[in-house]
This record gives sequence, structure tokens and C-alpha cells, in this order.
Amino acid sequence: MKNKIKLFLVDDDVIFLKTLEIEFSQHTNFVVNTFATGELCVAALAQIPDLIILDYHLDGIDKDAMNGIETLDKIKAYNPDIPVVMLSSQDKIDVAIKCMHHTAFDYVVKSETAFVRLQKIITTVFQYKRMEKELNWYMERS
Amino acid sequence: MRFTFGKNIFLVFARALTGLLSVFVVRYYYAGKVKISTQRYEHTLKVLNLSNNLLLNVLNIESGTRGYLLTLNEFFLDPYYEGLNTVDPSIDSLSLSVIDNKSQQERIDILRKKIKGRVRIAKYLVETQQQFHLIETDKIGNISNGRIITDSIRDIITAINAEEYGLLKKHKTEMQSNNHNNELSFFLLFLFLIFFGIVMFFVINNQNIKNEKLEALSIYQKEISNYSRSLIEASIDPLVTINPEGRITDVNEATVSIIAIKREHLIGSDFFNYFTDFQKANNTFGDVFKNGSVRNAALTLQNSNGGLIEVLFNGSVYKDAMGNVLGGVFSARDTTEQKKIESELLEAKVFAELATNIAEGQKLKAQNATKAKQQFLSNMSHEIRTPMNAIIGFTKVMLKTNLSVKQAEYLTAIKVSGDALIVLINDILDLAKVDAGKMVFEQIPFNLNTSVTAMLHLFEAKIQEKNLKLVTSYDHRIPAILVGDPVRLHQIILNLVSNAVKFTSKGQIKVSIDLLHEEAGNVTLQFAVADTGIGIPPDKMETIFENFQQASSETARLFGGTGLGLAIAKQLIVNQGGNIGVKSNPKGSVFSFELCFLKTTKTPDLDTEIITPDMNVKDIKVLVVEDIALNQLLMKTLLDDFGFDRDIADNGRIAIEKLQLKSYDIILMDLQMPEMNGFETTAFIRNTMNSKIPIIALTADVTTADLAKCTAVGMDDYIAKPVDERLLYKKIVGLVKKNTPDKRNISNTVDQPPVIRFTNLDYLNRLTKNNPRLMREMMEAYLKQTPPLVIAMKQSLEVENWELLYAAIHKMIPSFSIVGMSTDIEDMAKKLQGYAGARLQTDEIPWLVGQIENSCMHACAELEVELTRIKN
Repeated sequence: MKNKIKLFLVDDDVIFLKTLEIEFSQHTNFVVNTFATGELCVAALAQIPDLIILDYHLDGIDKDAMNGIETLDKIKAYNPDIPVVMLSSQDKIDVAIKCMHHTAFDYVVKSETAFVRLQKIITTVFQYKRMEKELNWYMERS
Repeated sequence: MRFTFGKNIFLVFARALTGLLSVFVVRYYYAGKVKISTQRYEHTLKVLNLSNNLLLNVLNIESGTRGYLLTLNEFFLDPYYEGLNTVDPSIDSLSLSVIDNKSQQERIDILRKKIKGRVRIAKYLVETQQQFHLIETDKIGNISNGRIITDSIRDIITAINAEEYGLLKKHKTEMQSNNHNNELSFFLLFLFLIFFGIVMFFVINNQNIKNEKLEALSIYQKEISNYSRSLIEASIDPLVTINPEGRITDVNEATVSIIAIKREHLIGSDFFNYFTDFQKANNTFGDVFKNGSVRNAALTLQNSNGGLIEVLFNGSVYKDAMGNVLGGVFSARDTTEQKKIESELLEAKVFAELATNIAEGQKLKAQNATKAKQQFLSNMSHEIRTPMNAIIGFTKVMLKTNLSVKQAEYLTAIKVSGDALIVLINDILDLAKVDAGKMVFEQIPFNLNTSVTAMLHLFEAKIQEKNLKLVTSYDHRIPAILVGDPVRLHQIILNLVSNAVKFTSKGQIKVSIDLLHEEAGNVTLQFAVADTGIGIPPDKMETIFENFQQASSETARLFGGTGLGLAIAKQLIVNQGGNIGVKSNPKGSVFSFELCFLKTTKTPDLDTEIITPDMNVKDIKVLVVEDIALNQLLMKTLLDDFGFDRDIADNGRIAIEKLQLKSYDIILMDLQMPEMNGFETTAFIRNTMNSKIPIIALTADVTTADLAKCTAVGMDDYIAKPVDERLLYKKIVGLVKKNTPDKRNISNTVDQPPVIRFTNLDYLNRLTKNNPRLMREMMEAYLKQTPPLVIAMKQSLEVENWELLYAAIHKMIPSFSIVGMSTDIEDMAKKLQGYAGARLQTDEIPWLVGQIENSCMHACAELEVELTRIKN
């Protein structure tokens, strides 16, 4: 029950959100929390997620909603160590670059393979974290 | 303080001196007075003496004259002459002695006249006598006259003497009163001196106390100063004070050691001389005096040995009480070490990165090796299983024929050995799967008690054979239906029980299941398998759960087994979030594990139950798709045994032809076949023929990759070769029973015109692994989100809000593939999105919107139907 990865999924597209939730829930090593808006996600940050998967386009229909980049900034302001993977249905390089500039960990285009890509990214995230930990260990010793 | 003290003492002494001086003055004054009174006394004596001399002279003249006249004896004339000669000087000296006294002078003048008169009378008498003889009468008359004058002279002299006495007496009285005053003043002076002495005592005493206090204060001050100094000296950072001219006024030890110049040489020298960049140093310290302080100014010190030291300067000015700047205090932090560490750190970082890269490389290699190992195991198992399938299958078939006792014995031996080999291969495969992290645990409802009891029946024969007793204990507080993975639970208990059976030669084996604790949504159970076997030595306790480990190498020879059973059991338990432990003594061992199960109200699916052959289900038509003749024969034999109707197809193509001619209840499909393999065939049946006929995969390759592919193409289940008779039967019956109502539905709708379905739930089924709850949630999510999006799409078209149109379509697109809508619709949506994004107004837009709306509405309607079906 412990050592599970706590995942926040944020998307205003309820269907896609559900799909992801189901796919992640089938992997026993994830605890998934879903949020339909960035505001809800930011409000729940105190639960300390291990990773956040965040939709880029949160203000598509509801123009007043906080968009993905704003949410990302809020998350990073709260704790810059939480890795955030941006999701978007747009395969646009400038969007990707924008996400990277706002220190997102990665950028994934919504498609049938999104879940597989996310899985790989999550593996990478934790590999990086482990490497960072190892590096810190080395640094402390030297 | 000392200075003030000295001043006070001086004052005290000055006062004392004044007092003494005044005493002397007074004393001198009185001594003078005493001398004067002595003089006065002497003067009086002298006057008396002189006056008596004079009187004597006068009396000499008197008596001489008289004697001569009476006797005429010349002898008497001697005093007379003597008196005559001395009387004038006598009166002159007397006059001189009282020259400052007027009344005496007057008396003396009278006296002088009287004496003159007397002398004249005497002279007359004597001279007359000597020449003429005086008559007697004349003689007597003159004598008495002379006597009268002499008496008056005597009186005057007495008066003079009395005057002198009077004067002396008066003076004496004065002197006495003076003396009295003098005593009084001495007494007063004495009092004053005593008082002064007391005052002096107190002053000095007070001064002493003050002195002591001062001394204590000064010691304290000194201690503080020493303490501060030691603090300053102890600082590892060089501390320097300079005056506004830049001369060093004080330094600490750290400074001395860093600059390597003696303290006495440092103090007073120009501080800026110790820097490599004189100008920069000068500017920095200039800034300090200008701004009051400086923070972390980076400078380079040069010490006397020529060594360069990187330092960070912090400093501020210090001021006196009036606020005048006295100088600057600086602390220099030696950053040489810091910079060294920094560079070392950088090196270490680079090194660590390199090491990490190497480690990553190694990990990749290891992963590849694991993959290769798994592939190898998978291939091996396939190669071994295929022939084993035939061997065991035919052995079983042969055992059912008429055999001699010997033949039956030999065949049983073959079957037992074959079973053992299959168990070993399955174990190895399972372990490979767990190692690769590919073990997936199902979450399905099942009846724990019946499930475990049925499973334990498998051991009955073996336990009877060894003359053991199997005891079961089941806690009836445990909910009847739990959600979990019954197959894996069986595997765990099976491994533990077979382990117990293997190592126990007499006694009993007890399997107990207890409710450990119960929460709202789940229960934690404790399973225990206790035996009365040989036990495990304490030093082996740690290793028995490791792969290929047995308590001792001899045990393998005595009891057989691969040593994988416990390792697999442990892996299965740990991967489900439980834990396993063992207690052991030479009289037996207890293996116990805890697992958590979810509670449920659902009834378990049929196929999760181990069902006993149900002879009522007979009229089942089975299509076996299998290319290998041996296996064909085996399947044929088994199915005939079950009493099922069966057809055999050599490959997928033939199977499809047969399907089109005749209807079947179930298909058993081999995966590897020539012409058209199992996956292709299934895909065709599902997608092209749109048939929902249950398909069971027959596979020798049971790695997860293949299983995932099986479910992906739409197969319902799989059976590993060599085929377990009971399992095959169970699965066939389970699937056919489950599918029957559907079949009836389909047959009902066959006559109706074909309906174009807008949705295809294959993806959802696959995604949710046919979990109805998840299916329902997904459908509900779609039904909740889509209609508002359609409305938004239509409205945005009406008001020509391209941005909103774009957003709505954008959000809609991912849902199309999820509910399995045609890619045509998705393409249309993408086209529309493109137009909206580019603000291109074409006539196509309303048409596209209409198409999408229509499709979505249909999809929603279909999903509603599906949803109600699932709910029921």
C-alpha cells in the first residue's frame, strides 16, 4: 500500500480525464486524484503529489478558468520539485517550448499513445529523481 | 578615577596645612605679646631702679650736707660730692627711660627743679660754712628747708614709682585676660583638629571603599576585555581595525597568520599594502568610511610569503560617543578553501554524472539481459510445452482405455513425471514474469471459502498417500464474497501446502484463514499453513524465500522440488501488498501471510469458480482451430470425453469458412498457425464478421505480452498448453453460459435491418478490462460532457464565435476514439477545427457541425442503451 506513486490528473475534458484515471488505476502502483480545473488542483497541493499531469488547455470553454500555464506556474511556485507533465491536443512546437520554459518536465500530445508515453515519462521522472538523489549522495560524501 | 582620588587627598592636605598654619600664626602672635609684657616688666624695674638711684643721690646730698654742718667734719662731704656728681646723669637717665610717658615727664621736670633748688641750698650752706661760719639759726633754718625739699623730692619719686607700678599692674591684668583668650582659642583649635581628624578618617575610609569598588570594577572590566579579546583572537576570520587614514590599529591572530607578518609590525602599517589591487582595496575601504559599511567585497590578500588569499571583506565603521568616526572594523573571510571545495564539488559532480551514465548503461544492459532471459524462458517453455502437451494428453487418454495393471502403472508414472515437469516450467515462467514486473493481479469478486476448499481437494490424494491429515479452519466472520485475484491466491496456498506436504512425513497439515481486521471497505486476512514436518534451521530462515533455495542441498535430493515455490509465493504476496513470515522448530513450521481484500456486494462470475463437471451442459458446439495434428487429436479426444460437438479447422482461413457455414457456441483458437494466425482470425471474426462468439486462445506462450495481445484483438480467455482437462471444461462452460443471453439477443435482431452503430466499445472494454463499473463511469463521463459541448458548438456557429467553436471541437476530438466512433467523424472534426482555428468561413462548416452533432447524438443514445444494460 505504501510506495505508491501519488498522481494528480488535471483536465477539463472529463472523458479524457476518466480514461487516464482508469488506465492509471489499473496499475497498482498509482494513487490517482483527478481535478477538472487548475484551481482545484492547486488547492489540493498540500497532499504533495509525486507527479502532476496537467492539461494545457484548461480554459477552452470556461474563459475565466485558470489556464494550464498559469496552473503550472502556481504549482511551481508552491513547490518547484513537483514534476509536471503537460498534456495538450495540439502538436505545436511553440506550445511545447512554452511549457518547457515554464519548467514543465515534459510535454505530451493527447492521442491513443498518450498513456504509454506518460508511463514512459513517469518512469523517466523517477529515474531522474533517483539519479538526483544518488548525485546528492555523492556530493555529500565528497 | 585615580586622578580624582589624588585631587581629593590634595584638598584634604591643603586644609590640614591651613589649619596648622593658623595655629602657628596664633601662637606667634601670643609669643609676641608675652615678649612685650616681659619688656614692660623690665622697663618698670629699670625705672624703679633709676628713680631709687636718684633718690639715693638726693639723700646722699642731704645727709652729707647735714652731717658736715652739724659736725663740720669734712668727712661727711664725700657723699655730698658723690651725690652732686651723679644726681644730674641720674635724672637724665630717668627722664630718658620714661620719655614716652607724658605724666612722668612732667613729674620729672618738677623733680629736676626741686633737686636743683635742693642742690643750691646745699651748695650755699657748705660753701658759706667753709668761708664764714654760719650762725646757728641760719644753719638750722636752711637745714630744715633742705629737708622739706628733700621730702617733696621723695614724694615725687614715690609718685613716679607708683605710676610705673600702676602701669605694670594694668598691663598684667591685660595680659591675664589675653592669656585666657589664648587658652580658649587653643581649645577651639583643638576641637577643630579633632573634628578635622574625624572628617579626614571618614574621607579616607570612604576613599578606600571607593578604591575597592573601583578596583573590582577594573578587574571586571579587564575580564570582559580579556574575554572580548579572546573572542576576537579565536575568530578564524581575520579581523582588522584601521583608522580613517588606513593604518592598521589592531589585528587578531588569524590576521597575523594569514598575512604572515608579526603583530607589532602589522600595527601601524598601511592596510592597503597587503592587497594585490591597491586601488580596489582603497576604493572599497573608502566606500566603508563613506557609507558606513561594506558587504562581501571580494579582494585578494597577498601575504609576506607572496601567497594569494581570496577573501570576502565585511566591515563597518565605529564611532565615539559623539558620533565621530574613529576607524573601521573589518572581517575577512578566507574563501580559498571554499573555492577549492567548489571546484572539488564540481569535479565530484562531473564524476558522479559519469558514474551515473555508466550505471545507466549497465542498467540498460541488465534490463536487456533480463528481457533476453525472459524471452529465452518463454521460448523454452513453448518448445517444451508443445511436446509435453501431447505426451500428457495422450497418457491421460490412454489411461482411460483397457490396460493391464503394469501398463497402467507405467502410464501413471509417465503422467506424474510430465505433470511435475509442467509445474516446474510454470514456476519458472511465473518467476520470470514477477521478476520482469509483468505480473498483473486481477480484482474480481470470488467466494473465498469455496475457492480455497476446492483447491485443497487437489491435495487429497497426495495427503492420503502419505497418511497425513489435512485440517482446515475458516473464520466465519470473513465476508463470503471478496474482491481479489483468486488464481494467484490459489497459487500461493498451493505452493505453501505442497511445500508442507513435501516436508512432512507424519502428522497433520493445518490450513487456517482468520480475519485479522475489518474496515469499512476492506478486510485483512491472515492465512497460515502449519505442518509437523522437519522444520527449518534458524540460519536458513532468511534464504528460503530466495529463488532456487532450499534449506539444505540434501533436501533437494530427499524431497525433490525446484526451490521456486516459496520464492513465487513470496513474490506474489509482496506484489499484492502483503507480507509473509515463517516460524519454525524441529517439530514443524508455520508459514503465514497477510493479504488485504476489498469487500463487495457483487456475486462472483461463474468462471472464477472451480466448477465440477456439469453433465447437463452437453449440446455445445466447439470449433477447434489448431494446425498441429497431434494437438488436434488431443482436443478431439477431450471434447468427445466432455460430450461436446466439435469441428476442427487447420488454420484461421478454414475456421472463418466454417463459421460462415455453421454456427458455433465457442472457438478454441491456437495462436501460431500458418496462413492466418490466431490474432488475425480473431480480429477478422470480431471486426468483419461482427460476431461476439466466445474465443479461447490456446497458447504455449503465456507471457504477458501475448496475453495482452489476446485481449486486445478481442479474445475472451486463454488456456495454457498442455491443456488442463478440468480448466478447459470449466472455461468452455463458463463462457458459453455467459454468452447465451447475448446469443439470444443477437438471434432476435438478426431479422431486423442492420443498424449502423456509431460507437464501438472495444476500446473501452479493453481499457477497463471489461470491468462494468469502470465502463459505466466512462460512459457517464461521456454522456455528461458531450451534450454541452455539442450545444456550445452549435451556439458558437450561430454567433460566429470561432474561438469557442475551436475550443469545443478541440475538447470533443479525443472522446471520439474512446467511444469507438468512426475515424471519418474524427477527420471531420479535425477539419472543422482547422477552419475554426484559421477563421476560415466556408460553406462546409455548418454541414460539418451538423454531421458531428448527429454522430454525437447517436453515440449518446447508444451509450445510454449500453449503460442501462450494464446497470442491469
